Amino acid sequence: MNEVTNDSIKLNIALSDLYNVYDPEIGLNVVDLGLIYKVIFEEATQRLDCEMTLTTQFCPMGESITNDVIQSLTKSFPGWDINVNLTFEPAWDYTKISPEGQEFLGH
Amino acid sequence: MIGSLVGNGLQQTTSYKVVIPFYVYAAVSLLIGTILLFFHTDIAHQHYFHPYTLAITHTIALGWGTMIIFGASHQLLPVLVEGKLDSNLLAYLTFIFAAIGIPFLVAGFYMFQMGWLVQFGAILINIAVICYLTNVIMSIYNSKKYNIHAWFIATASLWLFSTTFFGLLLVFNFTRSILPKDSVAYLTIHAHLGIVGWFLLLVIGVGSRLIPMFLISKYTNDKTLWQIFILINLSLVGFIIFKLMNCPTTYYYIVLALGLIGIALFGNFCRMAHKVRIRKSVDEQMKVSLLSVLQMLIPIVVLLIVIMLFPSKKYADMSILYGFCIFFGWLTAIILGMTFKTLPFIVWNKEYSKKAHAGRTPVPKDLFNENIFNGMTLAYIFGFILFVIGIILSLNIVLKIATIALVLAASLYVSNIIIILLHKPNIK
Repeated sequence: MNEVTNDSIKLNIALSDLYNVYDPEIGLNVVDLGLIYKVIFEEATQRLDCEMTLTTQFCPMGESITNDVIQSLTKSFPGWDINVNLTFEPAWDYTKISPEGQEFLGH
Repeated sequence: MIGSLVGNGLQQTTSYKVVIPFYVYAAVSLLIGTILLFFHTDIAHQHYFHPYTLAITHTIALGWGTMIIFGASHQLLPVLVEGKLDSNLLAYLTFIFAAIGIPFLVAGFYMFQMGWLVQFGAILINIAVICYLTNVIMSIYNSKKYNIHAWFIATASLWLFSTTFFGLLLVFNFTRSILPKDSVAYLTIHAHLGIVGWFLLLVIGVGSRLIPMFLISKYTNDKTLWQIFILINLSLVGFIIFKLMNCPTTYYYIVLALGLIGIALFGNFCRMAHKVRIRKSVDEQMKVSLLSVLQMLIPIVVLLIVIMLFPSKKYADMSILYGFCIFFGWLTAIILGMTFKTLPFIVWNKEYSKKAHAGRTPVPKDLFNENIFNGMTLAYIFGFILFVIGIILSLNIVLKIATIALVLAASLYVSNIIIILLHKPNIK
């Protein structure tokens, strides 16, 4: 993940949820795949912003993956306003895969 | 409060309703094509202008190859041109006109009735291709992303229209003289417009995007892809010019060399993508697809032999071998592999995209039976190799056994398609 949030406890909870969201084709979770860019909590408004990307803008699995991210975070943060912000700047490339992800893929 | 997706990044993919009919039609065509080949193995020793050869070739080239490429490209066009498909209606019209036109054309060839039956089929197929071409061009125009893959798919679609329009002229030329020579004189041009212009350019254009994507490869090389694009197009244009000008046989070595260099560069592109891949384990579907890249070289070798032996008595057999290696060789192999990379995704998305977190979901490759897939691959490779041996040795019994294996491979393919399409999720 490129940028961390201001609340490490909540971040850990969010990350443990996101580690269970998989790209169905690759079989790797979205965190190790490098799709999650930022997770920001705003305590005052109970708003959670998750900035993420996809391996390609026209990824056929895009809807499924983003739905899964929303539902995973909603489960752990009930009552919060969950916003998944999809961005393609910067675009995803293989360098964003974590060392653990690369190991999983056999690299 | 509920979660929401913000930003303007997520693009709609093509609806499964547009794509699935093409896959079903193609699967049935493959089965029919292999059954026809089983009943008419004797065509392997006759001139390629034979009713059954024309019927089988068009069943495979149009019903199988073109229909599945139509289906897959409607799904993949957004990935290739980085924009949405322009029109679902045009995609439906493409299917309807082609689905009706192909049986008329094939039946006309099979019964050798070159009148209204074949002409009606050819007209409908041309309407289908115009719909497809319009959809491709408009999708690329709207996306404003003129990358190399868009160039490959747009040019291939234009060559496809050239193929079918020229085919239409040839069909009418049988009953009234509209071309300077009889239709048989132009068959090789018609065939190569389709083989090189449509199939080869499209397979390279799509393959060069999908193979690195599925392998999660670091390798990209647009410069090489442009070189391949220019070489293949030059090879085809050169062939047409030399053929129309009745140039000596030696001239064909030039276009053959251009084509061979283009294919070799694509083979090297795939090798490099495979070499620097992040994902080390390569699944069976990708292995079959990569095998098809190697199979691209076989028709070139056969073509060299055809040119060298021309015009000996072996020429007819070698021409059939050349056509077989293309339609039942690399083209069928890449489709057999890529079907099980694309169709499970389409059905998975239909069933699970909104249920991804509702429970344990299968992954797309769980939607087909792997044992049936492996059986299909073995039957196909066995049938392909045996058929090539049967043609070279002129042994009809070998050809019969080979076609039984090919019918088996097609049956296993169809059964796996049915398994995927009938998949029902066990979560709510």
